[in-house]
Amino acid sequence: MEVSINGAKILATFENVPIFGTVQITQTLVVSWLIMLIISALCIWLGSNLKVTGISRKQAVAEMIYNALVNFVRGNMGPEFDRYIPLVGAIFVTSVVSNLISLLGIWSPTADLMTELAWALVVFVLITYHKIKASGIGGYLKGFLEPIFVLAPINIMSELFTPVSMACRHFGNILSGTVIGALIYAALTTASHALFHLLGSSLAVALIVTLAGAALLFLGKKAKKKFFFILGIIIAVLGVLAVLTNLGAAYPWLTIGIPAIPSLYFDWFGGCIQAFIFCTLTTLFIKQAAGD
Amino acid sequence: MDTLYQSLVTVNPVTLIAQICNLFLQLLIVKIFFLDKIKAIIDQRREAADKQITEAENAKSEALAIKQTYEQNMLEAKAKADDLLMTAQRTANSRSEEIISQAQQQAAQIKSKAAADIELEKKKALNEAKNEISDLAMAIAGKVVARELNAGDQADMIDRFIDELGDNV
Repeated sequence: MEVSINGAKILATFENVPIFGTVQITQTLVVSWLIMLIISALCIWLGSNLKVTGISRKQAVAEMIYNALVNFVRGNMGPEFDRYIPLVGAIFVTSVVSNLISLLGIWSPTADLMTELAWALVVFVLITYHKIKASGIGGYLKGFLEPIFVLAPINIMSELFTPVSMACRHFGNILSGTVIGALIYAALTTASHALFHLLGSSLAVALIVTLAGAALLFLGKKAKKKFFFILGIIIAVLGVLAVLTNLGAAYPWLTIGIPAIPSLYFDWFGGCIQAFIFCTLTTLFIKQAAGD
Repeated sequence: MDTLYQSLVTVNPVTLIAQICNLFLQLLIVKIFFLDKIKAIIDQRREAADKQITEAENAKSEALAIKQTYEQNMLEAKAKADDLLMTAQRTANSRSEEIISQAQQQAAQIKSKAAADIELEKKKALNEAKNEISDLAMAIAGKVVARELNAGDQADMIDRFIDELGDNV
């Protein structure tokens, strides 16, 4: 079967807009606004009804999040960069929610390179600002000629590729998760078709499989053999699904539940770790730029 | 209408700019509605804790000051009591010495007076004895010698006799 992986859906196109020309409103933007709404609601909820003593469970969680964020930024950058706490926090929370929203079947804005590039450009501007602030514009430009002037093109390239690499790292991980998810889904659909075409070709075969599974299940339970018990459940379920297929309810049954297992790594773990890496790089690059 | 998709990697300036704006908007929302509020509460709590600690320290130093004053007072009282005791002892000593010396003086006076009296009595007794002896001697002599002596010789002789008598007594 054919697997097609596309970018964001284009929801609306406006022609002849001044300055921009053709403006396409994509899923990325709409979902980003949805995510902003979610995060804002969460912020307002967590930031309301705060007390100095006798705090609620909600406030304890809110303070824990705040402390973790402050400790993260201070740990990476030191206390003199406290003004970047909101930026790092905003990038982290937006990134995590964007990455995880794909679990609900909604298009993840971080699967669009423009999202990460936007963040990386903001970080790049800050890095450049701190480099110029630390050594003056002359010192900043002179830095490209070190250690010898011949390396200037390479230095300039490495400077310009900082945001690109940051954006692509995040984007690539999320995209690979999406691609692998789609591949697994496609593979399971094909496998499902093949399996249930075989089992569900006749009602008799399907029923026999069901009964065999049930028998194995009971035997396994009676003999207290866990392996046979679980195998019995699987075979019985397959048999029931084969019966359903035979009766006309054809569906790629294997795509239910099973994709959640690799998604645990690619979406949950990958999503959180990429947000963390992006924020770590943001803090380290800015610190490095200011420190030199 | 067909659903249109962007290709997997596209540069879309509108999305890019919109996402930058979104980030700043999100940043402001996170800051104003969450971070600033939590920070204010944590600062308030820290201030309260600091205040309590300062108050406790103040109370402690006050208590220490009170304790010091008390100890000082106690020391002073003790010194005063010692002083009083010493003065009393000294007074008692001097007084007793005075009394003793007075008594000694008196005793000496009494003794010397007694000695004088004794001397006086002794002299008196001696004189009386002398007179009596002289009278006796006169009588004896008058009788033994039976001769008249003139008054001057008589007296001389008696005195010599008494002196010899006195030396042998």
